[in-house]
Amino acid sequence: VIAALGLLVGIVLGLVVQPDVPTGLEPYLPIAVVAALDAVFGGLRAYLDGIFDDKVFVVSFFSNVVIAAAIVYLGDQLGVGGQLSTGVIVVLGIRIFSNVAAIRRHLFHA
Amino acid sequence: MPEQLTREANRTANRPGLPPPDAARGALPDQVVMPLLDRIVRHSLDEDYQVVAARKTRSRRGRRPLSRYRAATAPPRTGRPRHVGAAVMAVFGVLVAIAAAQTSRNAPEENASRASLIEQVQARRDTVALLQERLERLRSSTTAVRAALVGSTQEEQALGARIKRLEVRTGFTAVTGPGVRITVDDAPHGDLTQQVRDSDLAILVDGLWNAGAEAISVNGKRLTNLTAFRNVGPAIHIGITPLVPPYSVLVVGDPETLAANLLEGTFGQQWYSLVESLGFVYEIKPAAALSLPAARPRRLRSVRPLTDDPELSRPGQGQVTAP
Repeated sequence: VIAALGLLVGIVLGLVVQPDVPTGLEPYLPIAVVAALDAVFGGLRAYLDGIFDDKVFVVSFFSNVVIAAAIVYLGDQLGVGGQLSTGVIVVLGIRIFSNVAAIRRHLFHA
Repeated sequence: MPEQLTREANRTANRPGLPPPDAARGALPDQVVMPLLDRIVRHSLDEDYQVVAARKTRSRRGRRPLSRYRAATAPPRTGRPRHVGAAVMAVFGVLVAIAAAQTSRNAPEENASRASLIEQVQARRDTVALLQERLERLRSSTTAVRAALVGSTQEEQALGARIKRLEVRTGFTAVTGPGVRITVDDAPHGDLTQQVRDSDLAILVDGLWNAGAEAISVNGKRLTNLTAFRNVGPAIHIGITPLVPPYSVLVVGDPETLAANLLEGTFGQQWYSLVESLGFVYEIKPAAALSLPAARPRRLRSVRPLTDDPELSRPGQGQVTAP
């Protein structure tokens, strides 16, 4: 509940402040969001599995965001462009889907 | 240490979602034997959660034996980490909000650029259509011009041939070619009436023209369609140049048919009867290569304006003759 509240507060804060993202960081934002989404769903599933741990959640969240951004940056520097971020999106997407499936199993017992 | 490793292996084997390690698989790590996508799906949950949970279970099991599940679902210990989790969620919310705001802020720009691109594409497409139309027009006009060119070329060739013919006939250019060499002289030991007169030579030349001669010269004087023979006293003149017998007539034409044609024509008959009756010296020999000079250029006698009217430009019509 507190986490959901935090999410709400964060969204409201982001919408109210609307900080300007530096142009250099702009390409990394969407993939960072996807990585964060993966960490959040992982945390939710762990919580429902009963093995949730704050420290693990925080570490996985920030490491996911940083690594995703770093991969995109690396792809840009290597000249492979969007392909590398596509790979990241695919892997993260699969993880998110299977995590959500596990969550659904917990919530609806189906 | 070896004991701990064994326990670690047992824990891994008991992890939920993992298949029991069989003999073959146990030898190799997961990432070697499992397909990549399978592995991603199986390990969708961060292993850290399980590792930490297992560690906790182990430390708790030291005090009182509890099932793994109950140990994990036991209420968390302190309030502080929960707040940390909430703060991280807040950060996540900020991230999401920023990304969404950024995307929606960029949307008008992208739409505008797309609209302008579509506009440009449309404009270019119109230009291409216009250019293609123009190309079509130019192509058809090229075809027309080419046809006209073919016509003009044929006309030019015809005119060139006609000019050539006229040049030869009018003595405008020197002519070389095969033909016959004719020698005519007064009758030997004849009286005055047996001399070759202008009318006699004129008959011969007319006969030669009719027989198909292309160019004729008499004593090196080129004959044209305007040349006249005149008697001035006993001497024959061509124009104003007197001729001295014997008269050497060079004719360019077909040497095989010229003599025969001369015999068949009216003027030829007339000429032969003159030769017979008056006893002229007359000799005709074929020649392989004759060279006839050009006639003296004549003064311009008549001009007519160049018009596009084919009726007027035809020779002999619409002529303005100088006095």
